[in-house]
Amino acid sequence: MAYRISKAIGAMALAALAGLSAVAPAVAGDADQNTPFISTQNTRTIKGEQYIPGIWVDPDGCEHWVMDDGVEGYMSPHTDRKGIPVCHRSNTCGVMNTDQFFATDSHRISKHGQARIADFFKSANAVGYVIAGHTDSRASDDYNIKLSYNRALAVARVARSVGANITDVRGYGERMPVATNKTATGMAKNRRVEILCFR
Amino acid sequence: MTMNFVKPLLLVAAVAAVAACDPVGPDKSRDRQSIDKDDLTGMKAGIWVDPNGCDHWIIDDGVEGYLSARLDKYGKPVCSGIAPPTIATGDFKGGSTSIIGDPL
Repeated sequence: MAYRISKAIGAMALAALAGLSAVAPAVAGDADQNTPFISTQNTRTIKGEQYIPGIWVDPDGCEHWVMDDGVEGYMSPHTDRKGIPVCHRSNTCGVMNTDQFFATDSHRISKHGQARIADFFKSANAVGYVIAGHTDSRASDDYNIKLSYNRALAVARVARSVGANITDVRGYGERMPVATNKTATGMAKNRRVEILCFR
Repeated sequence: MTMNFVKPLLLVAAVAAVAACDPVGPDKSRDRQSIDKDDLTGMKAGIWVDPNGCDHWIIDDGVEGYLSARLDKYGKPVCSGIAPPTIATGDFKGGSTSIIGDPL
């Protein structure tokens, strides 16, 4: 008996639920903001609804599109059309000028340089690190990719020797300049190894 | 017996409360839910680590939940090792209320 009653009430609840959900879109449909947005550009007809997002900034300082359409929430990283996130700051916690650590065309680090790198990683106190090597635009792209990767690997080897958690090692060669390659100072700025810290 | 019908009734009440809210216009940048409404820019996130070991921002804003990839400045996923795969860490339930808490 008890079982039967609870089942009946359950069914009532379900019916009420179905009734409500059937009513909800109709109510929403009456409101003018739900009028379909129709574009006839290029002979293609698009039926859609406008969703204007807000922006949420994550603890790293990068933006995300965020939308709340009542009960559901949506979120996606804000990147440019090349896939680069839009950020107010970056996780770069160290930029090594490679002229101070490497001879031209070399990826060998001196004993003194190794000690400086070890000191940095002992005090940086991050959960994980990404090491990214870069060069100026002299020599071929292929050569620069290899050289910057080997330099990043050399830095990562020292970092790992003092217990740092290196999660990725990359060589971007000349493809991600931070300054012009037309001047000597610009090129010197581009010759670098970046350390990204994640806490 | 009591247990059996209290639950569906509660559900009906919750759905009715939600359905009673005004329709949301094109601007989806705010939480209008009367029980947990807030400005979306102030939400506090934690980190959820996916099965590949990479980080995602996770937020519990009451009724709504949000998840978005953590990317480095080159657009690559951040796989920091902050927690083992499938673990969510940090204080990310700041937006939930006493009425709508963890269970949703």
